[in-house]
Amino acid sequence: MSFVKVENITFKYPDGTVAVENVSFEIDKGEKVAIVGQNGAGKTTMVKLINGLLKPSAGNVIVDSWNTKDYTTAKMSRKVGYVFQNPDDQIFHNTVIDEVMFGPKKMGYSTEEMRTLVKKAIVATELDKYIDENPYNLPYSIRKFVTIAAVISMGTEIIILDEPTAGQDMKGIKTLNKLIETLHKEGKTVITITHDMEFVVNNFDRVIVMAHKNVIDDGDKRNVFWKKDVLIESKLKQPHMSSLADKLNLEEKILFTNELVENIENYK
Amino acid sequence: MSKRIDLVNNLYPTTKFIGVIVIILSAFIVPGWKYSYSIFFVCALIALGSGKLKSYLIITVNSLLVLILLIFLMQSILIPSKEILYKIGFINVYKDGFYQALNLSSKLVAFTSAFILFFRVTTVKDFILSLENMGLHPKVTYVIMSTLQLIPEMKKEAGVISDAQKTRGVETEGNIFVRAKAFVPVLIPLVLSSIAKTEERAITLESRAFSSGAKKTRLYNIKKTRNDTIAIIILVVFLILCIGWRVLTIWHF
Amino acid sequence: MAFLELKNINYKYPTSEDWVVRNIDIKIEKGEFWAIVGKNGSGKTTLCNIMRGFAPSFFKGTFEGEVIVDNKNLNDYSEGEKATKIGFVFQNPFVQISGVKETVYDEIAFGLENLGLEEQYIRNKVEETLKLIDIDYLRNKNPFELSGGQRQRVALASIIAMDPDILVIDEPTSQLDPDGTEKVFEIIETMKNKGKTIILVEHKIELIAEYADNIIVLDEGEIILRGETKDILKNKVLLEKEIGIPQYSILGYELRERGFNIDIPTTEEQSINIISNIMQKKVIV
Repeated sequence: MSFVKVENITFKYPDGTVAVENVSFEIDKGEKVAIVGQNGAGKTTMVKLINGLLKPSAGNVIVDSWNTKDYTTAKMSRKVGYVFQNPDDQIFHNTVIDEVMFGPKKMGYSTEEMRTLVKKAIVATELDKYIDENPYNLPYSIRKFVTIAAVISMGTEIIILDEPTAGQDMKGIKTLNKLIETLHKEGKTVITITHDMEFVVNNFDRVIVMAHKNVIDDGDKRNVFWKKDVLIESKLKQPHMSSLADKLNLEEKILFTNELVENIENYK
Repeated sequence: MSKRIDLVNNLYPTTKFIGVIVIILSAFIVPGWKYSYSIFFVCALIALGSGKLKSYLIITVNSLLVLILLIFLMQSILIPSKEILYKIGFINVYKDGFYQALNLSSKLVAFTSAFILFFRVTTVKDFILSLENMGLHPKVTYVIMSTLQLIPEMKKEAGVISDAQKTRGVETEGNIFVRAKAFVPVLIPLVLSSIAKTEERAITLESRAFSSGAKKTRLYNIKKTRNDTIAIIILVVFLILCIGWRVLTIWHF
Repeated sequence: MAFLELKNINYKYPTSEDWVVRNIDIKIEKGEFWAIVGKNGSGKTTLCNIMRGFAPSFFKGTFEGEVIVDNKNLNDYSEGEKATKIGFVFQNPFVQISGVKETVYDEIAFGLENLGLEEQYIRNKVEETLKLIDIDYLRNKNPFELSGGQRQRVALASIIAMDPDILVIDEPTSQLDPDGTEKVFEIIETMKNKGKTIILVEHKIELIAEYADNIIVLDEGEIILRGETKDILKNKVLLEKEIGIPQYSILGYELRERGFNIDIPTTEEQSINIISNIMQKKVIV
């Protein structure tokens, strides 16, 4: 049952520039999808069309039976949570805990439900020791987790993460990996826009490649990184291990370090 | 055609500014409302000759129309006096008020037209340069120029923040109360991030030796030419003529 | 005496409770390329601020120790001299444009204008820089209309035009896409080849392995490791401290565990060589 249905949409800005053209795809409940492509290919526009921030000029976007054209963005936020790339565009409370509680307050949960959601969000983003701090006294990378917590505390079925790894160190990326797994286990649908192919390989199964306002590939991550024409057109880079395997002319489509190790073992 | 366009545009900014002051003074010196209103058209002609007619007209008309209407409304209809000029249905247009409105609005038109013309024929860059040449500290001119650039940037930023907050359930579409609630979630990140950016911008300036203390080179500079001297002479003569006119008209009565 | 030397430095910002960096002793020779890595919050940016002379002169705070640049104490440099000696580029491309220039050409000239240099020299330098950084096609564009990646390159160009001996570059690619990242590293490599002394803070450890000769590892404000990149980056301490090592090194360790007697690679090129040798049965197991 498709949870997000994008039906042949085109999006034009008021000045006439086309940002997305004739795009169709469906996302099932609980899927983990990465949307990749160069800057300017239409990724962010695409995702804003899913959460209703933008309405399609032609075609329809239907999210859990809601047509985005029929609802304001604020109403759509009950279905789709969107974490912006820059946390400083969202934070406006004096403490982390207030920031995280803001979203769920608007959702109409019972106090008990809200408390549970907020607690889970804080734990998942490892912000326990920062809850009474002023977000602006925390490093940028921690602030990014504050906005993530503030969005997942809303308990929406769909979570969109925009470039979550930008500016993160190894520890932050580990926390992100764990977070996505937790969300997945809870049955959430997770969508990300990213340039980080390692992040894609470690967390997502499906990759939608955008280039020149279109979707030029949509499928399993195992396949996309070997489609040379797609890589060239979208200027996508292969993950490190894939690129290495490729340069060694190995037949197997390798994504992970352990796969490469297994393959090389055969040469003992 | 291009030579005419450059004539006024290329005058030194302070020359143009003096022109504006002279025009405004003349509107207050020369009696009556007809001369002052005519300034709108004179400025339009200068704008035409400088290739800025369209923008001049758009801005002047947008700024003045409502104001003039309001002035007439207030003065001539709401303030009763003895003589009635016209009757429109049950509304009386009083004579005294009407002529007062005419006078008042004419000065406003002269003032506004002259200033708007000034900013149409003077670029911000040149204006700031002339201020610097007069001794204004580069730090002040930097603040002025960067603020002007930053206003559209902040507008864009406010749009981004507003989008971000919408996705957290902050409703921005609806009646005034709904919109008012959206004010704080947009304003605070805007102010805070502007403050943070200011610090980073200061570092950028330091990295570009802004406070090096050396006398700054200017790749672009503006100079006064013979045309400026001629223009000033014309303006002074004109002002004297205006004063003469007023003296004559007063003597007449 | 080293070209850039930090002696016995302790520093904290006005609002910090404790030292942000501690016991810092660094010697950098002219023309060397040093990367600084560490967790977020470990003091990397602070170290950059100290090297550039912004801490404590701009940020105030408490400062102990000495910074010596080209045999002169950094405090004895005027602000203008500091700017010509040490260039500084940092993470956010959106605040590194002056905000008062309408073209990229003027933007690059800005720093030189501030130094009061002769007009013809400035024009020559801007032309030279536009070509060197390969942004000539942007010369007439308004800096406010540029993308993040383009702005970052203009920021680099604007600093490079001032011809500093030392470049301190703090996470220049965090907000950029792979294409933008590649172009920035190309510029950094060009500067390296011109003999500039470069200090680079980066998280992208595989790129550090490829470009940087030397590396300093920071943890909680102190230097825990330093040396040649090819040696340091294999050190498992980096994993323990959650700083990270190149995936190629992780691969290398796993292959060793499986019995292959190999050197631990840090780059793709090294990995290809090593694995090719394995595949050609040239490696002892």
